[in-house]
Amino acid sequence: MKIIIIGGGTIGSAICSQLVQEGHDLTIVDTDQNILNEISNICDTIGLLGNGADVSILREAGAEKAELLIALTQSDEINILACAAAKKLGTNHTIARVRNPEYSELMRLLQNEMRLSLTINPDLAVAKAIYRMFRFPAAAKIDTFCHGTVEFAEFLITKDSKICGLELSYIQKMFSRNFLICAVLRGDYVYIPSGDFCLQENDTVCLVASEEDLPHLLKSIGLHKDPVRNVLIAGGGRTTYYLMSMLRHTKIKTKIIEKDKNRCLELAKQYSCPVICDNGTKQDLLLEEDLEYVDAFLALSDSDEENVIVSMYAKTIAQGKIITRINSMTYAEIFKEIGLDGIVSPQNSTVSEIIRYVRSLANAYQDETSEIESLHRFMDDRLEVLEFSIKKEIEGLTDIPLRILPAKKGFLITCIVRNNRIIIPSGEDRLLTGDKVIVVTPQGLMKGLKDILH
Amino acid sequence: MNTRMIRYLLSITLLIEAGLMLLPLLVAWIYGESTTPFLLTVIILLLISLPAVFFKPYNTRIYAKDGFVCVASAWLLMSLFGALPFVFSGAIPNFVSAFFETASGLTTTGASILTEIESLPRGILFWRSFTHWIGGMGVLVFMLAILPLSGGQTMHLMRAEVPGPTKGKLVPKMKDSAMILYGIYIALTLILAVILLICGQPLYHALVNAFATAGTGGFSVLNNSIAGYNSPIVEWVIAIFMLLFGINFNLYYFMLIGNFKEIRKSEELRVFLALVLISTAAIVINTAKLFTNLGDCIRTAFFQVTTIISTAGFATTDFDLWPSLSKTILVLLMLTGSCAGSTAGGLKLSRVILIFKNAMREIRHILRPRSVNIVRLDGVPVQEDIVRSAIGYLALYVIMLICTVFLISFDGYSLETNLTAAIACLNNIGPGLKEVGPTGNFAGFSILSQFLLALSMILGRLEIIPMIVLLSPDTWKKMFGQKESAKIRKLQRIHRAASPVRINKRNKK
Repeated sequence: MKIIIIGGGTIGSAICSQLVQEGHDLTIVDTDQNILNEISNICDTIGLLGNGADVSILREAGAEKAELLIALTQSDEINILACAAAKKLGTNHTIARVRNPEYSELMRLLQNEMRLSLTINPDLAVAKAIYRMFRFPAAAKIDTFCHGTVEFAEFLITKDSKICGLELSYIQKMFSRNFLICAVLRGDYVYIPSGDFCLQENDTVCLVASEEDLPHLLKSIGLHKDPVRNVLIAGGGRTTYYLMSMLRHTKIKTKIIEKDKNRCLELAKQYSCPVICDNGTKQDLLLEEDLEYVDAFLALSDSDEENVIVSMYAKTIAQGKIITRINSMTYAEIFKEIGLDGIVSPQNSTVSEIIRYVRSLANAYQDETSEIESLHRFMDDRLEVLEFSIKKEIEGLTDIPLRILPAKKGFLITCIVRNNRIIIPSGEDRLLTGDKVIVVTPQGLMKGLKDILH
Repeated sequence: MNTRMIRYLLSITLLIEAGLMLLPLLVAWIYGESTTPFLLTVIILLLISLPAVFFKPYNTRIYAKDGFVCVASAWLLMSLFGALPFVFSGAIPNFVSAFFETASGLTTTGASILTEIESLPRGILFWRSFTHWIGGMGVLVFMLAILPLSGGQTMHLMRAEVPGPTKGKLVPKMKDSAMILYGIYIALTLILAVILLICGQPLYHALVNAFATAGTGGFSVLNNSIAGYNSPIVEWVIAIFMLLFGINFNLYYFMLIGNFKEIRKSEELRVFLALVLISTAAIVINTAKLFTNLGDCIRTAFFQVTTIISTAGFATTDFDLWPSLSKTILVLLMLTGSCAGSTAGGLKLSRVILIFKNAMREIRHILRPRSVNIVRLDGVPVQEDIVRSAIGYLALYVIMLICTVFLISFDGYSLETNLTAAIACLNNIGPGLKEVGPTGNFAGFSILSQFLLALSMILGRLEIIPMIVLLSPDTWKKMFGQKESAKIRKLQRIHRAASPVRINKRNKK
C-alpha cells in the first residue's frame, strides 16, 4: 500500500519502522533534512523535504495515488490542513494527530466535513492507559477488548507469587475462574505456553479473563493491591489535563506539581485540585507532598530523562504504584531492569492504533470474512493481541472444532465472545459467524483470521 | 561492526558469483570446450559460501562503515575468485595477472594484459566479457534486487556501490528500486544484442559485445577490438549505445513513467550531450587531414569520444597517432567520465558541475562578501554537505591518482604512459596513451604494478572511500579484535535453535 507520513518525530519514525516491516511503500515528508536522513538510515523509505501542507510537496509525494496519509507533525493545524489537502488531491484515507484539548470538540464536529478517516490523540490515549492502571495497580498493563467485556492483564511473577514455580495446567485447575495464561515473556523471547509450561521468577505473564473475574483472580494470585485513592502528579502537560478530566468524577484525590506558571493557572482554573507551581524534580518538595504515602506517583513531564530519574528516586521511597511517561521507547528494555514497570508511552498506543487501521485497510481489499476490531501490543511490543469479528463464514475455519483446526504455530485463540458471553475455548469449541475472537501472536503481521491457517 | 552480518552478505555474494558462472560454463559446454575450469571454481565457491549462508545472523543491523567494508570486500573477493577460471584453464597462468584481468572486467575497465585473444577458448572469453556486465550495475545491487533483505540498513550497501552523488532511491522500497535499475539494464542490453544480431553479427559476438558495451567495459573477443569487425554500422550502433549507457539510469525510469519534465530539467544530461558534440566536432576538425572520407572521420571521432567519455575503452583506431589537441581532449574526457548513476566510471559529470559551480560561488563571494549564494543543480538548491563531499572526493581522487602514478613509475615507462595508465585504471576506461594505448596493453607492467593497478580499478569503481575503509588498520582491529557481548552471543544461540518444539522441550523442567 502507498502511504505518506508527514512528520518524522518519535512517533513518526516508530510508525515508519513498523509499517515498513509490514511491507508498505512509505514516503516521509519533513521540514528537517537531518530527520529524513536518520529515518532513511534505519527504514527502507524515501524522504521528501518540505512542508506537509504544501500542495506541490504533497503532489510530489504522490498524494494523488496514495492510499493513506498520516499527518503527525507537532502542529495540529498543519496535520488537519495536510489531511484536508490530501483528501482533495485524491488520497483515499487520512489520519491526523490532533492533540490540543480545545480541538477535541472541533474534531467531532468536522470529522465528516474534513473527511478524516481517523484522528489520533496520543496524550488522551496515555491518560486512558493510566486510568486503567489505577483500577489494578498490580498489573503492569491492562487493556480491554470487546467493549470492555474482556480484559488482558500483563504482570510480573515475583518470587513470593503464589503461582511461581507451578505448571500452567495446575494453575488452571487451582482457581475456579474462567481465565487463560496466554503468553509468557522470558528473557527476550515470548512463548505461547502449553499446559506443562512451568512459570519461573521474573517471567512476565499475559492473562485473559472477563471483566468480573479479573479482580478476584488477581486477588487469589496474591497480586491485589487496593485501588488508588490519592495521586501525586509531577508535570502538568496535556496528559495531565486529559487525566484530570477523567478523574474529576471519581473519588481519587490528586495533587499536581508543574513548573510553568501559566499551565498551573490553567489547571487550577479548570479543576479544583491542589496545583503547586514548582520544579517536580526537587526531592524536598516531593517529600513534603507525601511521596512516601501516596497510592500512585505519576511522572508526566515532557522530558523523558526527568521522568525516569524522578521515578527511580520515587521507587526508593514510595510504597505506591509508580507510573512513568516515556516518549521515545528506544530504551524500553532497560527500564524493566531498573525496576520501572509502570511505563506509559504515547508512542505505544498510537502505533498500535495506526497499525490496526492500516491492517484492516489492507485486509479489506482481499478478504471480507473477518475484520480487525482492535489491536493492542503487550510485553514491550513483542506480543500482539488482536480482536476480530467474523463477518461471514470462513471455509476451513468456522464451525470446526478447534482441536482439529489446522492452525499455524505461534497463534493462539484465547477467547471467543458470543452474545456477550465469554468462552475460554477448549478443543471442542467452534468459531461461528458473528463471534468476536481474540488471538494472541508474538509474530505480528496478522491481517485477517485466515492468517492463522496453514 | 557486525562481522557476522558482513560474513553472511559476503557468502551470498560468492553464491551469486557461483550462479553467474554457470552461464560461461554452459557456453563452454555448447562449444565443446573443457568445462573443468568453471566447474572447479563453482565447487570452490559453493564450499566456501554455502555453510555461512544457512546461518542468518540474529543481529542483521549494519551501519555505514559495515556497508563500506562489505562492498569493498565483496568486490575484492569476487575479483579473486573470478580469476580462478583463467588460471585453471591456463589462459592466464599467473594468478596476479588473472586477478588484474578479472578486476579489470568487473570494474568495467577493459584494460587487458592479454596480447593474443582470439586463440583463447570461447567459454573463457565469454566469462571475461560477462564480468563487465556483472560489474556494470553492481553485484550487491543485484543481491538487493533478488533477496528479501529488509531494513533501511541495506541503503548503506546501495550507497557504497552505486557511483556518484545521485538522488538514491527511485521508489520507497530498496528492493523495487534495485529491480527497476536491473530491469532497465537488462532491457537495454537485450535491445543492443538484438540490434547487433540484425547487423549481421553471430549470436556469440552479439552477446559479448552487448555485455561489454552495457557495462561500459571494453573487453573484446578480437585482437583488433571493434575495428576487427570492419563494419561501420556496428561501430555506429555500439557508439550510440555507449552514449546511452553513460546516461543516468534514473532518467530512463522517469521516461518509462512518463515524467519528461524531470528529464528536461537534468543539467547533467545537457552537459553530457554538449560535451560529446563539442569534443566530436573539435576532433573532426583536428583530424580531418588523416582521413580520406568525411564520413569515416566523423564516425571514428564520435566512436573515440563516446568510448572514452563512457569509460568503455573499445578501439576502432589508434588515437595515439592523432594530433596532440585530439589526444588532450580525450584525456580530459577520461577524467570527467559520464553521468552519475550510469554504468560508467570517472569523476562523474554531476560532480564536475557541482565543483565548477562551487568555484564560481567562491568567486562571487569574494567579490561581494555579504552576498548569500546557493549552489543549484537542476534548478533545485543543493545541500551543503553534497557540495562539500564532491570537493572532498576530488581531493581524494587526485591523491589516489598521484600515488598510483608514483608507485607504477618504478617500472621505468615514460611519464605519459604511467599517467594515462593510472588515469585509465582509476577511471575504469581501459586504454591510455603510448605503451598502454589502444594498440598496446598492460602486459609489460611488473606483477606488483599489475596488482596495484587492479586495486586502483576497484578503488575507482567503488569511488575510493569503501576501499580506504577496508584497508584501514582500524577496521581490521575491529573485525578481529572485537568480541561480541555475552548477551548478543546468547541471543545468537537462541536464534539459531529457535524452533518452537525445541523451546518447549527446554522449558519443561
